[in-house]
Amino acid sequence: MSLKIFVDSSDPSTIALAGRLDSTTAPELDAVLDRALRGGGKARMVFDLSQLEYISSAGIRCLIRARKAIEPGGGKVAVVNPQPAVRKVLDIVKAIPHGGIFKDTAELDEYLDAMQKKVRDGE
Amino acid sequence: MVFNSIRGRLLFGILAVVVPIYAGALYMSYQATQQRLEYQAERDADELAARLAAGMDAVIRPIEGGIRTVAGQLEEIDPPREQYAARIRGILAAWPDVYGSTIAVETGSAGASSTAFAPYLYRQADTIGYSDLARDSYAYQDLPWYRRAADSRQPVWSLPYFDAGGGETWMVTYSVPFFRRLPEQGRSLAGVVTADLALTWMREASAKVSLGPSGMGWLMSPPTTKQPFVTPIGATVDRIGKFDASLDTQAIRRAGEQMLARKVTLALLPADITSQPVYLAVRDLQTLDWRLMLLLPRAELLAEARKLLQRQLWLGAVGLLVLIGAISLVAAAISRPVHALADAVGAASEDNIAFPLPDWQRRDEVGVLTDALRRMRDSLQKHIRLRAESLAAEARLEHELQIAASIQQSMLPKQESSPFSASVRVAATLLPAKQVGGDLYDYFVADDTQLLFAVADVSDKGIPAALCMARLSALLRTLAPATPSPDRLLHELNARFNQANDACMFVTLGCGLLNVQTGRIRYASAGHDPPLLRTCEGTVRQMSVENGPAIGIEAVAHYPLAETFLAPGDTIVAFTDGVTEASAQDGSQFGTDRLAAVLANADDGAPDSLVRTIAEAAASGFRASDDFTVLAISLSPSNVTVRHTESATRWLAQLDSSADAVAQTQQLLRTILAARDVSPEQAGEIELIAEELLTNVIRSLHARGGPAQLSLECALTPTQIVLTVADDGPQFDPLAHDVPELERAIDEREIGGLGILLVRELADRCRYARVDGRNVMEIRLHRTLM
Repeated sequence: MSLKIFVDSSDPSTIALAGRLDSTTAPELDAVLDRALRGGGKARMVFDLSQLEYISSAGIRCLIRARKAIEPGGGKVAVVNPQPAVRKVLDIVKAIPHGGIFKDTAELDEYLDAMQKKVRDGE
Repeated sequence: MVFNSIRGRLLFGILAVVVPIYAGALYMSYQATQQRLEYQAERDADELAARLAAGMDAVIRPIEGGIRTVAGQLEEIDPPREQYAARIRGILAAWPDVYGSTIAVETGSAGASSTAFAPYLYRQADTIGYSDLARDSYAYQDLPWYRRAADSRQPVWSLPYFDAGGGETWMVTYSVPFFRRLPEQGRSLAGVVTADLALTWMREASAKVSLGPSGMGWLMSPPTTKQPFVTPIGATVDRIGKFDASLDTQAIRRAGEQMLARKVTLALLPADITSQPVYLAVRDLQTLDWRLMLLLPRAELLAEARKLLQRQLWLGAVGLLVLIGAISLVAAAISRPVHALADAVGAASEDNIAFPLPDWQRRDEVGVLTDALRRMRDSLQKHIRLRAESLAAEARLEHELQIAASIQQSMLPKQESSPFSASVRVAATLLPAKQVGGDLYDYFVADDTQLLFAVADVSDKGIPAALCMARLSALLRTLAPATPSPDRLLHELNARFNQANDACMFVTLGCGLLNVQTGRIRYASAGHDPPLLRTCEGTVRQMSVENGPAIGIEAVAHYPLAETFLAPGDTIVAFTDGVTEASAQDGSQFGTDRLAAVLANADDGAPDSLVRTIAEAAASGFRASDDFTVLAISLSPSNVTVRHTESATRWLAQLDSSADAVAQTQQLLRTILAARDVSPEQAGEIELIAEELLTNVIRSLHARGGPAQLSLECALTPTQIVLTVADDGPQFDPLAHDVPELERAIDEREIGGLGILLVRELADRCRYARVDGRNVMEIRLHRTLM
């Protein structure tokens, strides 16, 4: 049982994770994130965790690193559809702010559309 | 004993018939002889009487004639009295036996002389004496010898009398009357002429008579005589003295007279006369009315009969001996060949059945028996030869079966080269009911992490089952690599098996795939008894399996998949019904419950000892009538030790400090918790806790460098799960660090310290201690079951 990483580089770029994200597999995700974050920050990054079965602190560090890279620049890291066990871990360490976890992509799209509108309205 | 031989029976049978017949004939012959002898005795007596009578007649008749002639002359001539003496003298001269004679003159009758006159002349020594009886004192006309003749006017004989003072001897007197013819009176008595006859001659004559070898006898005067005259005949006096000296002649005489009165001529003398048996024969002589009595001793009389009998007995004895000899010869002639046959047959043994039989040409019973024995011997020889051939064939078959058995054994996996020996232990036994059997067990590597195992039972036993088993084994090994899932494998196996199952054999088969890393077993069954699971705690349960049809029954079959987990120290035991159906003498079966009990009572779950214990339990008091197969597999990772106490079961894993150690430990925990029905959510949290703790420790050890001892123990109680991580590195208390501030802005937030936070949050209790130079971190959780 290992980790599978599916990367969609469109905007918002989506990283779907399947399997286990632990101290063994976290470096793989780090490498993917390194490539994704290189050359200018992405404004938005979505982690689809519907297929992620397990996450440990090593995995959470990856998410927090992503947030550190994106969010200070006004970007946003969102998590979609984490399984309950994963959600529980995320909640314990408050890895993602409450508003950053969505139960599915539809909810996320709605949220993103609203954000976009707010930005447009603000500008 | 006699009846045990033909000779004895023949002898007994024939003699039993012959001897009574012979004895009867002998008895009858004896009787006839005796009768003949008695008749002879009577005839002898008759002849003797006749002879004696004839002798007496020969003496008496001439004298009678002579006296009557004298009387006639006296009547005719009537000579003067002076001539009387001359005439008497003539009588004496003519008959020497006449002792004396007289002519007595009648005086009383008509015309008679007036004077009595009776000149009597008698022999006296060498002269003739004379006396005149007409004396006063001797009134002769009144005497019986005169009176009887005178009165009867006939010649008469007197009874014998002893002439005392005269002849001094026994006498009889013949008296003849003579008459004178008178014109008026006719014949008138003139006198009586007499002749005294001495009986001496009679004695002499009697003495000369022979009475045979033993006869005795007497001549006797009639019983009317006052003083009877008795004269013994022949050698009677001598013989009677020897025979019975006390014999009373008078008694004999009386008995004889009684016999005469009854007209009996021969009878045994009554016992009161003589104690010795003796015949008495009696006859009366006509001449003088005398009696002849003969004594014939019975012993003497029968001596001849006895002699005859003896001779016949001798002859008979000789005859019997000859008969016995003849019978013996005949019997020997019969039994000799029979004995010869018996000896010939008796000499036969298992090794030498070709015994020679005597050559008996005759077509009698012995010939028939000899023929029958010869036929029997020949067919026996043939039978033995055929049997030897069939034994040889059997031995060949036996040998081939032995080879087949060893081939079949070699088809079974070798236990010493068990796959995944670092993670599992396997033991099995297969005891065929016959030399080759229809049971099968197999286990082999299916892929990197999985061990495939199977236990099968072909219907039937022996060679057909063994061939079927071989085919099944080959199919299993061929199909397994392409279909690494038990349900699919059984489906394929069934399909392929049915392509060629003309014999309509069928197989029950249980097939499992054990992941040696995760302890997961996927299992499918084609009508086979579900395996038993023995946990390291000693509890035993039957694996819950839904059966599909036995292989070989349906052309297309589907097999449900079952799943279970083995924790390290747990054992799965698969078996065939030869185990559970081993039966005791009272008919009760070993049974699944007993098997489960044997497993539960075993000291530990080591497969080899479990298999041995099961085989021993089923062999004590039970007897397997079918092939007997047990396969036991336990999960036993080399770095894990299991300890079971009453309160808890502890799995202790010795770890190295590599990154792999974390994944391995997580896997171990997953296995244990799944096997003990801990909920997957809690299992995931424990996995997480283990990862966080171990990565912390390993990182800390790496930072400080140098080798280290690292271990994790998972202890399960009914209510709690306790993880203990220990290492011998420098003191390091993860709980001592500050909890990171989670609420800070993301750019200010620390990345580390999250692991121990997770541990704290997930565990019910965390505790660090430094014990004996070791860091010991203990985490407790309340156990939630599925």
